[in-house]
Amino acid sequence: MKGRTLSIIMKKDLSALSREKTILLAILLQLFVAMFSSFLLVGLTSLYDPSLVGDYSGTQYRIAYAGEDLPLRFLLDVRGDIRVYPMDLSSAIASLKERKVSAVIYVPPSNPDGPDPITITLYTVQNDIQSAVINVRLKEVFIEYEEQLREIRSSRLTLIPVDLQFPEEDGGAPGFYEFVYGLLLPLLLFMPAVVSAALIIDLITEEYEHRTYETLLSAPVTMVEVVWGKILACFVLVPLQAGAWILLLMLNGIPIAGLPLVMAYVMVSSLALILIGALTGLHYRERTGAQVIFSLAVVVLMLVVLAIPGNPLNQVAVLASGGTVPGQGMILLAGAAAAILLSLAVTRSARGAAG
Amino acid sequence: MTIWAQILTFARWETKKSLIVPGKKILPHAILLLILLGGATLMSAESGLHLQDAMYSVGTDDPVFAGIVASDNRFRVIVLDRTVLTRYQASFDLVMVEGQVLPADTDRGAAATGALMQVYDRYRNAVYSREADIFAAYPLLVETATVKSELDFSAPGSGAQLASQVRSRGSPLPSGPVPSIAPPDPVPAISPEEFRAGMIQSSGSDGTLIRYSDYLGGSGTSASPYQTPSQLSPPLPFDAIILIFVFIFPLYFISQFLMMSVMNERIERRGETLLSTPVKSWVVIAGKSLPYTGAMLAVSLLLCLVVGATPLIVLPLIPVIFFFLASGLIIGMTARSFRELSFISIFFSTVITCYLFFPSIFADVHVMSLVSPVTLMIYTLEQQPYTLSQFLFSTSLFSITSIVLLYTAVVNFREERLFSTKGLVSTGVDFISSMLHPGHPWLSLFLLGMLAVPFVFMAQMLLLVLVFNLPLPLSLILILVAAAAIEEIAKSVGIYTFSTRFPGFLTWKNVLAGAVVTALAFLIAEKLLLLVTISQIAESVFGTVLFSSLTLLWVPFLIHLAGILITGTALRLGGRAGYLPGLCLATLVHCAANLWILRGWLW
Repeated sequence: MKGRTLSIIMKKDLSALSREKTILLAILLQLFVAMFSSFLLVGLTSLYDPSLVGDYSGTQYRIAYAGEDLPLRFLLDVRGDIRVYPMDLSSAIASLKERKVSAVIYVPPSNPDGPDPITITLYTVQNDIQSAVINVRLKEVFIEYEEQLREIRSSRLTLIPVDLQFPEEDGGAPGFYEFVYGLLLPLLLFMPAVVSAALIIDLITEEYEHRTYETLLSAPVTMVEVVWGKILACFVLVPLQAGAWILLLMLNGIPIAGLPLVMAYVMVSSLALILIGALTGLHYRERTGAQVIFSLAVVVLMLVVLAIPGNPLNQVAVLASGGTVPGQGMILLAGAAAAILLSLAVTRSARGAAG
Repeated sequence: MTIWAQILTFARWETKKSLIVPGKKILPHAILLLILLGGATLMSAESGLHLQDAMYSVGTDDPVFAGIVASDNRFRVIVLDRTVLTRYQASFDLVMVEGQVLPADTDRGAAATGALMQVYDRYRNAVYSREADIFAAYPLLVETATVKSELDFSAPGSGAQLASQVRSRGSPLPSGPVPSIAPPDPVPAISPEEFRAGMIQSSGSDGTLIRYSDYLGGSGTSASPYQTPSQLSPPLPFDAIILIFVFIFPLYFISQFLMMSVMNERIERRGETLLSTPVKSWVVIAGKSLPYTGAMLAVSLLLCLVVGATPLIVLPLIPVIFFFLASGLIIGMTARSFRELSFISIFFSTVITCYLFFPSIFADVHVMSLVSPVTLMIYTLEQQPYTLSQFLFSTSLFSITSIVLLYTAVVNFREERLFSTKGLVSTGVDFISSMLHPGHPWLSLFLLGMLAVPFVFMAQMLLLVLVFNLPLPLSLILILVAAAAIEEIAKSVGIYTFSTRFPGFLTWKNVLAGAVVTALAFLIAEKLLLLVTISQIAESVFGTVLFSSLTLLWVPFLIHLAGILITGTALRLGGRAGYLPGLCLATLVHCAANLWILRGWLW
């Protein structure tokens, strides 16, 4: 394998890519996603954990309260973000339908120290984002009231859980943090790997289907050099795309720590995926079949990898959020070993494909 | 041979050539991978997804707490002596000493505290659910009930204020009639044993995934209608996503095969035999697309069976299916290479998924949601009827644009288009030029103008959906500029094509005449479309910005005319180089005119 030939092949494929300008579509897509990331972040985060929507507002909510006057009423009254209006149930529900109140609480006559639980009914508007918000606030009040009632009935309790004191100020739901670092970031950073792997299939099968590889091989290059040149072309796109994601995330106010190691994981995993793509392309020499098999293989691989503790996506999540993982040299080494094995397989397959 | 028989012949040919033969080749590996997929699914179900392992580091002096925390693998726990712990407190996200939680003063620390609260809650519930007197441990039960309500469209920006009260001023008392409602039964219809069984069953999993997977399986998600306060989880606002994944994704996948099949005909001029057959090109296209149409319909119906929904749910999906087919054809006919095909199809699918998904988030909340046919699917799933006009509103754009795209494909399904290797924009112009007839320039321009309008509407709808959640002044400005730009681009397409493909056409007289014809076509097509669709949202400010042509006829006509005249003049003066500046100027003028119309809303 000659370095010069490799770089010529690589440049040929890269320049074809940039001449077509369709790579612009990929960048446009990144921008498109990033531009609406405020919406996406709010939207996707609440998809992941609907209770988070509650953090996005400081307004007062109107609640209609119907039925018995229990201490619950007082707990609702003292909260700044809830305003309570006593009403009878029928007009309360009518108000809710007109959206003049956000929720209705109905409390039946009940005995705080009775044998039965106190059963209250919460009415909200169906399938509505606002209902999700009000639900979160009311949940806090209900939990507070549950504690009070538990205190009243404490003489009947036999098992007491160990006590843990949390700091006064609210820790907040971990959903947003975990969504950004534990899901969004790894997925975005590993997306370029999948794109590049699909690209290598396109590049390899195209030479076969257009019968251009025959012309190519009449020049003083070997099939191994052709394939590796293409692999390099796809590989250099990975840091560009991943870097763009990191930049866009940082612009959105999401700091990313441990960049060198994060990039190392991304590069090693991408190389492995690209090599798998190259193997599929070399085997089938035809795009449709290769892409179908490759997408199936990626799904299987993702499931298996995610089922293993300490997988690269997990590592990236921990590293990017500023944490440290013991023994990560080993994981990187294992990844590199897998990549080397795959490279040998690709070289062998390319040598065989020349005939 | 009748036409139907010809179509069937092509369909059979296509199935054999593009599906069965390559299918056989990949079959052994596909089967192997499917078996592996089953194994991998089992494996991940067994061990869970390890994406957030060891995100937080926790130090404690108490093995009991360590045991509780270690039950969640987001935490990495170290048990240390108290003095050591206090000295190295800074290296932990969270420290637990003497039953006190001391988080680090970082985002991670706060998130770790929140996560710990969840874990501690789970632990407490595990203890309480073993309590003999279960209702002493869980003295408060909450029953949730929902009512339906609809917001009107005259409240723009309500997406941005999604968390706030819609009408926070005025009396909270209802203004309408008050139907009498019987209070629910005070005594819970649940025995302590049933309740305990439910509590034990529900502990352990947080249930988010289950809630999504149960959405399709119909109701009956939880065993009991009563929840403890900590079990109370907010309703899922975005049920629609599961529909997108289940129903739209297969469509996208199948359309890939069509794209590839069309692309394959173009490689090495393989399709020459196909073109040389003495049949009309629409017959060839119909025959080629038939297997894929059938596959899409079959998969959708099969999915209906699987999720147990009525087959009626497929009805709003049919225009979407045709849209996927039509755009698959066009993409397959225009892409120059495999990598281009990949990039375009990824881009296309993302945009169309946005168009389908974002509006449907607001199903049951907002009329706006009807832009997406997925909303109608949600209605069907919720057994809520929709009217014919609602059906037309959400599907007509898909139907009309599919027809236009299919027509473009049929007109261009010939040698010089299929086997050319020009760039994307140039190919696009070529495709359009096939629809223009130099012998009848005015009629061609008129028809092209009319055909462009549904696409303009679609783009503007996507825009509307995207900016809808931004705060009001910003969203209005954005939509004003972007909508004008889209309209000006669409209007100029005809003149641009004429000027580049038929040199010498663009005399001053023709610029003027072309502008008048295009403006007229736009006006008439808009009116026609508005009749079917936009009447639903025309009353809002956004409606006024987008479709200001409702009340007066001569004002919109003049705006259209001014825009296209400017672009035409720029093309006449500067040739192709003059196009972009002309377009920008036209957009500016268009914006200014719209601002003038809007002055009543803004000042």
